[in-house]
Amino acid sequence: MSGDMDDILLVFFQECEEQLQELERGLSALSDGESGKETINAVFRAVHSVKGGAASFGLENLVRFAHVFESSLDGLRSGRVAPTPEIVKTFLKAMDVLSDLVAEAQGGATVDTARIDESRAELQAIIGEGSGTAGQKEEETVPADFTPVPVDFEPVMADFDFGDFGFEEETPAEAASLVVTFSPHTAMYDRGDDARNLLIGLADVAVAHGGASTVTCETAALPALDALETEKSYLSWRVVLPAAVPEESVHTVFDWVSDVCDVTITRDGGPGPSGGEQPAEEQAAPAEPEQPAPVAEAPAPAPVAASPAPAPSTVAEKIMAEMPPAPTPAATAPIAAGNAAATRRPVEQATIRVDLHRVDDLMDLVGELVIAQAALESIGQREDDAQQEMIKRIASMKALTRDIQDAVMAVRAQPVRSVFQRMQRVVREACSMTSKDVVLTLEGEDTEVDRTLVEKLSDPLTHMLRNAVDHGIESAEARIAAGKSPTGQILLSAGHRSGRILITIKDDGGGINRERVLATAVKRGIIAPDAVLTDDEINNLIFAPGFSTAATVSDLSGRGVGMDVVKQAILGLGGRVTISSVEGQGTTFCLSLPLTLAVLDGMLIVAAGSTMVVPVSSVVETMMVNHKDIYMLPDGANVVSIRGACMPLIPLASELGLGGGGTASLSEEDVILVVENESGARAALIVEDIRDQAQVVIKSIEKNYRQMAGVSAATILGDGSVSLILDVPALVANALGRIDTRPSDVRTGLAA
Amino acid sequence: MTDEAGADAKLVKMIVFAVGDQEYCIPILSVREIRGFEKTTALPFAPHYVCGAINLRGIILTVIDLAVYLNVEPQPDNPRRVVIIVESRNGTVCGLLVDRVIDMADVNLADIQAVAEEDSSLSGLVMIADRMIGVLRLEVVVGQLVGGMTS
Repeated sequence: MSGDMDDILLVFFQECEEQLQELERGLSALSDGESGKETINAVFRAVHSVKGGAASFGLENLVRFAHVFESSLDGLRSGRVAPTPEIVKTFLKAMDVLSDLVAEAQGGATVDTARIDESRAELQAIIGEGSGTAGQKEEETVPADFTPVPVDFEPVMADFDFGDFGFEEETPAEAASLVVTFSPHTAMYDRGDDARNLLIGLADVAVAHGGASTVTCETAALPALDALETEKSYLSWRVVLPAAVPEESVHTVFDWVSDVCDVTITRDGGPGPSGGEQPAEEQAAPAEPEQPAPVAEAPAPAPVAASPAPAPSTVAEKIMAEMPPAPTPAATAPIAAGNAAATRRPVEQATIRVDLHRVDDLMDLVGELVIAQAALESIGQREDDAQQEMIKRIASMKALTRDIQDAVMAVRAQPVRSVFQRMQRVVREACSMTSKDVVLTLEGEDTEVDRTLVEKLSDPLTHMLRNAVDHGIESAEARIAAGKSPTGQILLSAGHRSGRILITIKDDGGGINRERVLATAVKRGIIAPDAVLTDDEINNLIFAPGFSTAATVSDLSGRGVGMDVVKQAILGLGGRVTISSVEGQGTTFCLSLPLTLAVLDGMLIVAAGSTMVVPVSSVVETMMVNHKDIYMLPDGANVVSIRGACMPLIPLASELGLGGGGTASLSEEDVILVVENESGARAALIVEDIRDQAQVVIKSIEKNYRQMAGVSAATILGDGSVSLILDVPALVANALGRIDTRPSDVRTGLAA
Repeated sequence: MTDEAGADAKLVKMIVFAVGDQEYCIPILSVREIRGFEKTTALPFAPHYVCGAINLRGIILTVIDLAVYLNVEPQPDNPRRVVIIVESRNGTVCGLLVDRVIDMADVNLADIQAVAEEDSSLSGLVMIADRMIGVLRLEVVVGQLVGGMTS
């Protein structure tokens, strides 16, 4: 049982994750000024679902907070509150608390109660209630009053003391007070819900409207103790709420249990309970949950009944019509979630959502592949000379295979949105810690990259954005002094560029103070005091391990581990980081990453007798060696002049330490490959031959072997042999480091 | 190879192979398979005892020439040279190029006579049928492959 529970809990947390994302999306839309009904409903629904699920698992803290949150959002939904930027900000803050509470329930760090209380007070202030102590006090007394309820009413308890069941608060109901009677079905308890949560919900509603609720428990249906079936639901409750409480907010309390609970809501004409008859006639229902629930005709006018599913359809329609439209979707979402929790198996993170058409495309391609294979087979069986035909078929098969590969890649592709949206929170938190005002703008969230990459982007981006807020953006005073708007701007954008994904983080802060960076680097012993560095090299110093210019180590950054880790993480993904910074205008970080970690378009070349792969994306052109264009530098290295542009010449074989003696072995047959790194720096590789162009599958060798300079990975060729994939940017950087012929603006990746 | 081998926990089945004139053994449970020596792909900046990389059904792994590693004259023309694919305790897979595989033997751990150094590639010596056999410490041999970056 506990195992099942854990499984279900896992599903719940997965759903929370989704709901929180939904919430984030909705709130971002709101803060962008889009206050459509759908958006608000979506936000409301998300919080509501979290609350509903949390209640089923008795996650008290979460339920309480979600409920307050929900109430405030209800104000937004009903139009009582306008989504001003301040209010949206409060909601965003509340969302962070909510997601922390979810994390806490998941076994994470305990959330600071002061933070919860603060956010709760803010939320309550929005809907103009609970200002100050009164609301806070109610909030605290109500649960205390209700705590005994589940214990006493727990149907499995044998030592029932019937006399204690009447549980009444002293406050009498006022005129036209709202009377809610409800009797849970056995099924509700089976599902893990608890009447206690409903009572708490009702009490909260009452408190929210400035009154208190009167709860009476109806025990008439309880059989004698010896006839008591411990698993059955016998009890029902009658709750009198203050007149100010709107019916819809009562519906909200019940809408996620409405299928397993009989509820009637009536406007009572006078104070006090309307006698024992009405609850008594409801007692029939809980004992026989299969029966259609009675839609109680209460003495009051205009009864509105939220009856469970088995009610006659006409009644149901009537209810739908009477209910405001908004709660309907709200009601369906948590129920669906509940069902899903019961039936779906937890699948960890191993699932992805894929557009159907992508799977269809894949299917079509596989069909064609089967046909192509049949055609090949028939050629093989023919007696005559079919070689020409064979070659043609193989060529078409090759094209097909490539298409299939693309299709599979498309299935694995995921938009970077999920990671990008998480960054909003990172920036928000960083802002509140540093008391800065920064707006994060997202661009190109729909850019798709391989799933594995999406997940691995999160940590480096978090670091970089924190740094941007903490170090990049200046304080408001400094900004005003510099003639900028006090609100800082950070742009996080993603896009495709020539087979790679390019992520830029651009802030409009003070830029990198190169003098200070240089001074710090010298102080920390990262570089020699007399070193002469270009601007770009100085910028790159911030990636050096142990580097930090922050005068004080803040909570956010300044310990000098961040950027070093970022660089390592990006390199680990086969990517590069480049910085450009204009003092006084801001800093831009560019992350260039491969679209996938699996496949690469490569040019097969020969060096030192073995076949190697150069990524096609980094090859600019190929040409034969012309000895006239090669000049030797005093230190023994060579540069080659190609149409007037000089670039370092890299004899690949000797560069990789695989024999060959520099230019001495340069023969007429050798080929020059002009290669380029991300920032446009070029170098010429001398190789013995160019064999072919092919797609190769990237295989890591680092698992079983150490990292090799100049080699990024390996692959397996068609003949089964191993071939190395060259790390062109590393080779270029290495060569440029030795031969200082390039203008400084194209030099990259040297310092770190 | 007898029933008591399983019964006595101190007996470890070892695979015995020769490198040059000297015989060595490693626990058979660390051996994945034995295959013929084929052409390897040279790796840049590799230690001199690494022959290169081979493709083992989609996994790329490096082959160590044990003769070079142990400072014995290699026998490039020996047709009985084979590669023993081993997996060390920390999960690293690699191949060991040996001159020939001799047989298997049950070695009582208590019979192994330790050699002095803790981190040497040889953990001890054992006598099997009057032959002195070295017990290789795989973790050391293999660990050097993954350890650290080349510069």
